[in-house]
Amino acid sequence: MSLLQYAHLIDIMARMNLRADATRFFLGYIWWVLEPLLWVGVFYFVFVTIMASREADFLMFLATGKLVFVWFSKSVTAASNSIIGGKGLVGKIDVPKSLFPMAIVQEGIYKQAAVFVTLVGILFINGYAVTATWWYLVPLLIVNYVVIVACAFVGACLVCLARDFLQLISLGMIFLMFTSGIFWDVRSLDAEKAKLVLDYNPIAFLIDAYRQIMMHATAPDMLHLAIIGAAFGALLCAMVLLMRHRSQYLALRALTA
Amino acid sequence: MNTTTPNILELMDVSLSFHAGKKSFDHGRHHVLQDVSMQLYEGETLGIVGRNGVGKTTLLRVLAGILAPTKGRVTMARGKSASLLTLGLGFKPDLPGRDNALLSAMLQGSSRKQALSFLDGIKEFSELGDSFYEPVKNYSAGMRSRLAFTTALMTHVDVLLIDEILSVGDAHFRGKALAAMEARITGEQTVVFVSHMADQVEKLCDRVIWLDNGNIVAAGDSKEVTSAYTESVARARRGKIKT
Repeated sequence: MSLLQYAHLIDIMARMNLRADATRFFLGYIWWVLEPLLWVGVFYFVFVTIMASREADFLMFLATGKLVFVWFSKSVTAASNSIIGGKGLVGKIDVPKSLFPMAIVQEGIYKQAAVFVTLVGILFINGYAVTATWWYLVPLLIVNYVVIVACAFVGACLVCLARDFLQLISLGMIFLMFTSGIFWDVRSLDAEKAKLVLDYNPIAFLIDAYRQIMMHATAPDMLHLAIIGAAFGALLCAMVLLMRHRSQYLALRALTA
Repeated sequence: MNTTTPNILELMDVSLSFHAGKKSFDHGRHHVLQDVSMQLYEGETLGIVGRNGVGKTTLLRVLAGILAPTKGRVTMARGKSASLLTLGLGFKPDLPGRDNALLSAMLQGSSRKQALSFLDGIKEFSELGDSFYEPVKNYSAGMRSRLAFTTALMTHVDVLLIDEILSVGDAHFRGKALAAMEARITGEQTVVFVSHMADQVEKLCDRVIWLDNGNIVAAGDSKEVTSAYTESVARARRGKIKT
């Protein structure tokens, strides 16, 4: 399979998943924008109305953190199940197994594009302006994508080996949700703890970087970003090689596990 | 088919087993194929017969490169490809027949451009008319299999592996499908044809392999092997009726 054919297949599988999804719901594609807006609505109700939030921009802070995290968690969780879920196909055709998680990640990109547009809209309404610093979003989004793909590949392979990993992955996502500074600000911790969280939790770093760029017009630590990109890029390459060499083993596990 | 024709695919002492769970078979290992050796010659139609669950589909999966043998060797002639002719590859019921046909053709190795160019032909051969643009979930079983068969027919590979697919649609479409299949089989196409229907295999194949419990019981002339297989099935049935 040529690279172009592979890319076309990912794209068409993702679009068809989205179209199939949209036909199932009465509101169809509107859900892409409605879902993140409802998230923000829930946050507004809980943190601003009920808890009378401490900071004026707390809602923006939450929305940015949560919506970025949801991109990661939804993509990785769904992709982890993708090879096993596609076993009808796996048993009939020798396609690269990475096709399955990649199609899911691609589907997530299309949805996330709508989410980001919504997020930017909300930021605008609340008086935030687009600055030159926003150019830093380009490398940040690329690194975020690489992190998602690498984790999606690892998850998909682990679940092929034993379905039990699905439980661990969803537990891991909850753990990450609470430790990545979505509901609290990493920068409000004392310097030592903040460094610990940002150094060892790449998701916390990424979320903080989005906030720095979009809310505070501040450039993120580019060296740190490059290190995360390189580390997950290396993991991604290793996973691609592994999935290519062990394709038939993964098929056997998916069909018989 | 004589043995001077070049080998396109060869299996040497191929075994396939897997861990099936703690309490099944021998300590959890399930042996699907055991020391299977066979050759496939260019241009021939090889039939594989056997009851359900004896390893026919697994053997096809090994030939198609979907599964690797646990033991033994599979050798494919350089530059050749084998593909399983599969009905309804990746079908999504919420999407129209057209989209499903496009995805199916692309999964079978066509480029997007090629797949798009197939669509008119698929619509015509499957006789779906305007239903081609309706969601597959609204199709009858017959319409679904007509779409699936027609899409599968578009595959172009060196070795075509066919798994029990000629029981599609109504009598009219089945006749048409069989004729289309025969045209592919009698041409230069190398084919491995799997079925538990001995008469179909005898009619279409040059050579036949009889598989039982993961082993080759007999191989050779299609008439001889299929009649031995049919007799054994009849004997087993008589034995069952007596007991």
